[in-house]
Amino acid sequence: MPKNGRFLVGLVGVALVVSYLIWTGVSETMVYYLTPMELVTKVTADPTFHDVGVKVGGRVVPGSYEKRATGHSFVVHDVEDESVTFRVEYAGDLPDTFTDSPAMVVDAVVEGRFREDAVFEATTVLTKCGSRYEATPEGLAAG
Amino acid sequence: MNVLGELALWTALPVALWGAVLAFVAGARQRGDLQLSAERSIYAVFFLTVLASLGIIDAFLNDRFEYLYVASYSNRSLDTFYKVAGLWSGQRGSLLFWLLFLMLFSSIAVWSNRRQNREFMPYVVGVLASIASFFLIILLFADVNPYAKLGFTPADGQGLNPQLQNYWMTIHPPTLYLGFTAFTIPFAFAIAALLSGRLDSRWIALTRRWTLLSWFFLANGIVFGMRWAYEELGWGGWWFWDPVENASLLPWLSATALLHSIQIQENRGMLKVWNMSLVILTFLLTIFATFLTRSGLIESVHSFAQELRIAYIFLGFMSAIIGVGVVLILWRLPKLRSENQIESFLSREAAFLFNNLMLLAVLFAVWWGTMLPLFSEGFGGEKITVGPPFFNAVNIPFGLVLLALTGIGPVIAWRRASKQNLKKNFTLPVAVGVAVLAALWLAGARHGAALATFGIAAFVMTVIVVEFFKGTRARVRIEQERWPFAFLHLVARNRRRWGGYIVHAGVVIMFAGFAGNAFKAEIRQTLDPGETAEMPSPLGHSYTLTYEGLSTTLAGAAPVRNVRWQVEALLRVEKEGRPAGTLTTARRALIAQEDMPTTEVAMRSSFLEDLYVILSDVPDLRGALANDPNAQTVTFTFMVNPLVGWIWYGGMIIALGGLIGLWPDGVATRARTPVRAPARAGGPVLAGAD
Repeated sequence: MPKNGRFLVGLVGVALVVSYLIWTGVSETMVYYLTPMELVTKVTADPTFHDVGVKVGGRVVPGSYEKRATGHSFVVHDVEDESVTFRVEYAGDLPDTFTDSPAMVVDAVVEGRFREDAVFEATTVLTKCGSRYEATPEGLAAG
Repeated sequence: MNVLGELALWTALPVALWGAVLAFVAGARQRGDLQLSAERSIYAVFFLTVLASLGIIDAFLNDRFEYLYVASYSNRSLDTFYKVAGLWSGQRGSLLFWLLFLMLFSSIAVWSNRRQNREFMPYVVGVLASIASFFLIILLFADVNPYAKLGFTPADGQGLNPQLQNYWMTIHPPTLYLGFTAFTIPFAFAIAALLSGRLDSRWIALTRRWTLLSWFFLANGIVFGMRWAYEELGWGGWWFWDPVENASLLPWLSATALLHSIQIQENRGMLKVWNMSLVILTFLLTIFATFLTRSGLIESVHSFAQELRIAYIFLGFMSAIIGVGVVLILWRLPKLRSENQIESFLSREAAFLFNNLMLLAVLFAVWWGTMLPLFSEGFGGEKITVGPPFFNAVNIPFGLVLLALTGIGPVIAWRRASKQNLKKNFTLPVAVGVAVLAALWLAGARHGAALATFGIAAFVMTVIVVEFFKGTRARVRIEQERWPFAFLHLVARNRRRWGGYIVHAGVVIMFAGFAGNAFKAEIRQTLDPGETAEMPSPLGHSYTLTYEGLSTTLAGAAPVRNVRWQVEALLRVEKEGRPAGTLTTARRALIAQEDMPTTEVAMRSSFLEDLYVILSDVPDLRGALANDPNAQTVTFTFMVNPLVGWIWYGGMIIALGGLIGLWPDGVATRARTPVRAPARAGGPVLAGAD
């Protein structure tokens, strides 16, 4: 048993190192994933949140896309409450699946910083296609 | 055909349930006649599942848009190829597809064991039929029936997402599903071993090939997915640590751990509980992956209320697997005692165990990072996510340790490594590793993790080459064979060992490809026709790219069927001033999916690097399509991805090694297993049951 005991100590050591790496990894790289509603509420309660990097999942407002010299700009609204909106600015390439066409429901996950002028400065924009390609009976009837 | 298929799906459920009950009764009462009937129900469910799948394919081919599933994933103008692939384009069809593969493998397992290993078979059949029943219940009662009807018939379907209309995306999901489902067989045998009490290494010997088969498909499926991302998604990367990608990686990691740790049980009679747990874990992860890839549970912006029912059924099933597994292992604990102890940290057992720990550490980290949004929302209220920085920070150190172990594990001695053993096997490889490291340092490379990868890769490669050399030389001397024949015979004689080494070589090459990513270069430039861009390669030379202009295609005259419009940019490439061909990169939209244009990237692949060009932006698309000479300005992203090709070469070598390990043994070399009590209807067939 002593040999296995010594080995057990080794195992525990490895487990500790693993946990430590995961723990520090999470705390150094974690990002809040909020809905537009949560973001707006949070920023109102605590203005320092303007400087924290966050990830926000919203829905693209049809017809809101604008092309600007600095890049792309569009508006997203909260999935549950359409009255909660903000504008997103993004200098990179939008994914192929991005569109503000009224025929489509596009969910965008933007990562970046919510500026004090209430514009979201995105460093990444992802579009979620899960629900888009699963047709609804209503959608098919309309099409 | 559609009605028949739907009927077959409904009929399959009672047959599968009947088979499950019958098989377990046959096991408990030792009734061969019931067992025979249960085995036939497996074949019957397979046949019914084939009918159900054909019904769906038939509905796709005949544009039967009254079916919600067909209307969602097809349209009239879709290529026939993708219509057939419609069976696995979406959640509904792919669950049926999963069941089809499961029943195929189940039938093969039952058929090949109809006259042997009878003590396991009642429970094996019982487990397989239970899993089949579970998937049938999901298909029929969880709002995912592929035969669900709309109630009206739309004029046309929605069509298939253009990004999925790619060769790799067609073969990627089936390959993964083959991997997921093949693992059901080892799981069924493990549970059968626990239930029957026959817990020597027999069940491992019986299922080793199945485990390897599952592992082989998973490895290929993952690589195909990477290749698809690289070609189709147009951002120059191949792995994004997306939940769906992670989900397919998890069972591969635990299957890899299992393939290593069963060798310790076979050779030293240790780790029995561990191996049993790994089998159950791997199976659990295949179910988890199937669930996650098709439910959108993690990533979705919505709350997952609409998927609630299927989520609960899956969670219930996974809990049942864990519960049954834990109870059975605890019950059989006395029979799962280790026959030996680990004697030294410097031994093959220790190296393999350490390899297992590292693989599970990666598994846990990936799983935790993937599930964090769900956990944090469930427990703390706020949704927290981690992205690639987390996965890279955690997995790079573990990955490097694993890489080093692929070189240490196979040649270090069992039980306790002597000084001579270490010195003899590791002096040259360590020297080569250090030399490569020094050479790269002198060449100016300074990226720590990448340098470590190259150094360790060189070390492992040397170990493998030396092993092959020694083995071949021994045959040349003893058998008087010529070198090439000696080499081939060497591999053929012990496919498991040498196949494994070849897999390791592939892994090393793949890791080198990953490390190459540290040196990738990228520039973004807006060009007018005739203008040029300079793209320096991290390898020292540079490319000159001249933008020649746009060519447009509109519906009707398209070189690619279904294309509504396409804008294609032509670039002339020069490498160090010498002509190196042309590249075209395009944006195009398909008929019926005008709202979803796709970017077609251009690649110039060579052994050491890929030149990768993306047509990032066409500012005046309307003008460009009208061939307006003032609308030809476009923005490109140019990338040089060093060593990216090595990932694909490594993947091919891994596949080759896996195939060598899987290849059936010839009759001459096979250590024939004694045929046990032949199955006779009505006879006592359950020799080992207690």
